[in-house]
Amino acid sequence: MFVALLICLSLVLANVVIGVYTERKVSAFMQDRLGPMVVGKYGSLQLIADLVKLLLKEDIVPKLADKWLFLAAPCMIFVAIFAGFAVIPLGPGEYLQGSQAQIGVFYLLAIVSIDIIGVLMAGWSSNNKYSLLGAMRSVAQIVSYEIPLGLSVLCVVMVSQTLNLQEISTQQGIFSGHDNYLFGLKSLGIDVTQVGGFLTWNIFRVPFFLGVFIIFFIASLAECNRAPFDLPEAESELVGGFHTEYSGMRWALIFLSEYGMMLLVSVLGVILFLGGWNSPFPNIGSVKLANWTSGEPGSWSGAIWGFVWLLAKAYMLIFVQMWVRWTFPRLRVDQLMYLTWKVLTPFSILAVFLSAIWRMLMI
Amino acid sequence: MQFWYFLTALTLISALMVVLSKNPIHSVLYLVFTFFCISGHYVLLNAQFLMAVNIIVYAGAIMVLFLFVIMMLDLRRNSPDSKTNLTKLAGAVVGGTVLVIFIAATRKINLGTGADNAFYNSQTGMVENLGQILYRNYLLPFELVSILFFVAMVGAVMLGKREAGERNF
Amino acid sequence: MNAIIALSLFGITNLFLGFLNNRKILLPATLLFVLIAFGLNLADWNHEYYWFHNMLKTNNLSINFTSIILVATALVVAISRGFGNDEEHTHPAEYYGILLFSVVGAIMMVTFQSLFMLFVGIEILSVAMYVLTGSDKRNLRSNEAALKYFLMGSFATGIMLFGIALVYGATGSFDINGIGNMVNQAKLQDIMLNPYGPILYGGIILIFVGLLFKISAAPFHFWTPDVYDGAPSIFTAFMSTVVKTAGVAATYRLLSISFPAVYGLWGNPLVYITCLTLFIGNITAVYQQSFKRMLAYSSISHAGYLLITVLAKTPTTNSSILFYSLAYSIATISAFAVLMVVSEAQSKSGKPDESFTALNGLATNNPFLAFVLTVSMLSLAGIPLTAGFFGKFFIFADAFSNVSSLFKTIAVVAILMSTVGIYYYFKPIIAAYLKKGDLEKIELSPIYKLTLIITTALTILLGIAPDLVKNIF
Repeated sequence: MFVALLICLSLVLANVVIGVYTERKVSAFMQDRLGPMVVGKYGSLQLIADLVKLLLKEDIVPKLADKWLFLAAPCMIFVAIFAGFAVIPLGPGEYLQGSQAQIGVFYLLAIVSIDIIGVLMAGWSSNNKYSLLGAMRSVAQIVSYEIPLGLSVLCVVMVSQTLNLQEISTQQGIFSGHDNYLFGLKSLGIDVTQVGGFLTWNIFRVPFFLGVFIIFFIASLAECNRAPFDLPEAESELVGGFHTEYSGMRWALIFLSEYGMMLLVSVLGVILFLGGWNSPFPNIGSVKLANWTSGEPGSWSGAIWGFVWLLAKAYMLIFVQMWVRWTFPRLRVDQLMYLTWKVLTPFSILAVFLSAIWRMLMI
Repeated sequence: MQFWYFLTALTLISALMVVLSKNPIHSVLYLVFTFFCISGHYVLLNAQFLMAVNIIVYAGAIMVLFLFVIMMLDLRRNSPDSKTNLTKLAGAVVGGTVLVIFIAATRKINLGTGADNAFYNSQTGMVENLGQILYRNYLLPFELVSILFFVAMVGAVMLGKREAGERNF
Repeated sequence: MNAIIALSLFGITNLFLGFLNNRKILLPATLLFVLIAFGLNLADWNHEYYWFHNMLKTNNLSINFTSIILVATALVVAISRGFGNDEEHTHPAEYYGILLFSVVGAIMMVTFQSLFMLFVGIEILSVAMYVLTGSDKRNLRSNEAALKYFLMGSFATGIMLFGIALVYGATGSFDINGIGNMVNQAKLQDIMLNPYGPILYGGIILIFVGLLFKISAAPFHFWTPDVYDGAPSIFTAFMSTVVKTAGVAATYRLLSISFPAVYGLWGNPLVYITCLTLFIGNITAVYQQSFKRMLAYSSISHAGYLLITVLAKTPTTNSSILFYSLAYSIATISAFAVLMVVSEAQSKSGKPDESFTALNGLATNNPFLAFVLTVSMLSLAGIPLTAGFFGKFFIFADAFSNVSSLFKTIAVVAILMSTVGIYYYFKPIIAAYLKKGDLEKIELSPIYKLTLIITTALTILLGIAPDLVKNIF
């Protein structure tokens, strides 16, 4: 439990370092420029410089702000998001998962939804119209997108018959206790349990999960307030959204939680759809790629392989998030609401029905 | 057991603060905190599903909408108190009497020596068992509650729809 | 039970009928739906069924109550006139749909076997009524009434829910038979023997608060005049008949099945509540200038009459409540029907005039409407040869047949109060026949006229031969 806590904490901290540097480099690449180049080789020390700047900056509290709420809001946001990591299995075995609670992913959705209270606190207590407007937009957006997000998670839960993320991960690989058939169809009769690799990932076990994954991905982008859903902090309209008035370490904390949220939803997407900590390579006859690239659950090699695969897939998704950010224009508020209520929600409800049918075919 | 006392004290204090704090925003935030404490009680009872539902529905959605509305209204300017002293006194007397009655009613209860191990099932509060009960014994209320929500939804849309010639305040 | 399912589906059908852009079809369709539900309801006659793991129980009593509710609904729908031709501001499909859903709630309240169903039923009925009260969006008084009703109503349901939780805590059951058995066996009435008794007491009192709020018994009546006055008249008619009948039926069902063993506990407070309700309802009604507000206070007083027989616990209580509810519903609906057309014909600057003076000289040009009004007022006042007389007669007979001398006192109070009632029920009759006014002839649609003929005929028929329905009940 404490192992997982420490790993997650350092992971979230390291993530912001890696994330910001990658973001700047990726955006530079997309816009055909160089990005940070001056501090360190290829600008690699730029972030350290930024961190030092943030630590040294004055922590300003506006005079008319509600002081206690203003000070507590960033902590609230961070705690809500960090608490979500408690049920994430970072690898096989019980040491890499903070809590083995049966409620698993449902708890995660619940606790992450708290961060909007932090956002509202921050926006309101700043006593600034831009902050308040940003917070309002943020809340309307997150509350709306929680519905397709929750429904797409429900699809996976219906197929996996469990809420525990560790069990969901285990089911999608060669260590699964159940028989896995190609496309999940028992009637096809092709047993791929021992083949493993990407063939047993949920996105392959249930082919229409590709669409569900896209719904999940869009909704998770909106949950992170990432572009093209960054209306809450739209620089051109609202200065900085709900964190306009924050500076110094508190601003850094908000930034940290934002990148932490990106990592969290990416890891969640990987676990739910892309096989979790399982290796992507299948066993082909005697070429046991899956076995070679993953260790026994419970052993050191298993933990390390699992951790590496999970993070590799998660960072791939984070890369896609950045890619989307620098290629799509921002949505208008009405388009945002149209997308969630009239497109994503009906389709995810349909997907829930289909998942129930597919589950019948799987057993 | 010590933790239970701590949690209960926290619940009661935050619930009191909901009523006592002057700023409505603070009241709502204390209410959210109260819901968290109640979720903590659910965890102690191993009712994990209720815990998550309590957070996701109350703290995560309903209270957020409360906050939303109160922030829009900007109630920080305290309007003059419209109630007379007599009303306040009557309210205090009635509320206090109800409190005394319920304390008196509950103090006789024998809480027993703890759970009866023969009948104790640690899995009662899990999703699976809850689903079995909900969709078997309580199917009818579960289905008919959908009518309740449907009525509320139709009504909200009907009342909220802007009409031609309506003044926009 | 089948009526519940059918009405739920019909409500949704009604909402879809709104897409047809044909307002004329809605009234006959809704009327047809209510009549189908009525037929389905009667199909279970003389059978006792438990539905869905003891959630609902239908027997002849519940079928009778459901029938009264459906008859009242059908009459209200028949006098609704399709909510006029104002395409912009009225939404008949939604109104009829919500009306049907609220009837689902009302039927749940009269057939419940589990306290869950009571709660869900009350909530469905209440939420529907909150919406319908505020449906006249451009009228500030309607908005005020809706908000008042909503806030007070949700508090009342909240208190009732707390009461249900306490009763569950004391007895370990949501089933009303189960609660009744527990109350008997565990000697919950004796605090010395069972420490859970006081919780049960608290729970019963809190459930009471919620239920008495719904039937607007004093001292929980404060919302009634404003809400009845502010709501559109057609929904006031619905509220004062269907909601009241369902509320009284639910109270009676709960008290007679679950808590007869602790009669000593709830009997005494209910005696005072009944007397207070009769007193406040009748005395304040005297001072009203508005006909609609007077009807609101009179509905409070009728809740008092109904509570007498709930208290009396005689073998004839069932039939007395049923007869009184039927008589009261029919008379109230015809009174509201007259009020609606007259107040619209007398409207000043777009606002309907609902005071007594609006009725001045009604008899000169509209003898039919004046006659309908007279019969309904006589019935509400309890004058012989109308249904209301026998309703009151049965109730007073119940009170006198009870051995306790307390009931003689209540009955005397009730009789005194009904003489007060005669005074204010004659006000509209005097206005219609003796005062001078310049009301033109009001054209009535055939279905409206037919409804008025039916209600009036029924009132007189039941006043001459009450045994016609009394034998069924």
